[in-house]
Amino acid sequence: MTSLKRKEGYLLIDHRNSPGVPADIARKTGLDPQLMAEGRFLESATITCAHCLGVVVKNPMRIRERGYCAKCDKYLCDHCDAKRNEPNYKHASGEAISDAILETAVKGNLGSPFNLLNKPKIFVP
Amino acid sequence: MSRRSFQVPTFTATATADTTNLADGTYLGLTAGGATNRCEVTEIYMGGQSTSSNVNIMSFARHSQISGTKTALAAPNSDGPMDGLTQAVTTPSLGFVATTVTIPQRSATTSNARLALTYNSFGGIVRWMAMKGEGWFITGVTASVSESSLSGFTGGGGGVMGAHILYEQV
Repeated sequence: MTSLKRKEGYLLIDHRNSPGVPADIARKTGLDPQLMAEGRFLESATITCAHCLGVVVKNPMRIRERGYCAKCDKYLCDHCDAKRNEPNYKHASGEAISDAILETAVKGNLGSPFNLLNKPKIFVP
Repeated sequence: MSRRSFQVPTFTATATADTTNLADGTYLGLTAGGATNRCEVTEIYMGGQSTSSNVNIMSFARHSQISGTKTALAAPNSDGPMDGLTQAVTTPSLGFVATTVTIPQRSATTSNARLALTYNSFGGIVRWMAMKGEGWFITGVTASVSESSLSGFTGGGGGVMGAHILYEQV
């Protein structure tokens, strides 16, 4: 099993020679105001969600567990982790969705691949 | 497979709301180039060039309105392979800063991924790098899942800056 740390990205925001960002705007964008202020230098790991392929800045102070998909062996963002725990959840990795989009395009049908992945449920009374 | 660098040495990132037309020359757009194409963004760099304090609320986000005809880049902007021996690709992924017919619009969907890269363009620097295979993927030309741009979001000032995006045609 490979280390999940190997898959991390890197974010640098350097305000050492800059007035920095006001606290309210830093909070609005989800970053620690103290690390965005004048003269400060932010370095942080980022993780890419295995399902939506979104990038999340890792919070090193986090105590609760991070979302993790054993099938993908990668971290998940909180949105996708919540979806993963819903009943009747069908696993769909970001790679699988991308493949479906490209395959659909190659076949000449440019319909929404998400509709193909999430087939409508038919209830029989 | 070829790694490419799309760079705009200086431009003014104008604050623009989501689902609103992005004005030409205020953003760095990146498209897969075709329905069967895919590319992976592995690095975004921004360097501030403003001569006074200016908060740039920069956002790298997908487009809910895919742009129409992309205007070819003009110097000093450029988009080329990082290896000079790279074989040319038919309908490659490409960077753009202006379009005609249909203007790109950033998606406002809350379940869409987005990078919030706020900084002060008076001397500030932002750099995001991803591991290969863990980057930002642009697949095909479907709205809200493919074409993306680096642009200024509402609330920030219009700060002058330079930026580059490193990506790989997959």
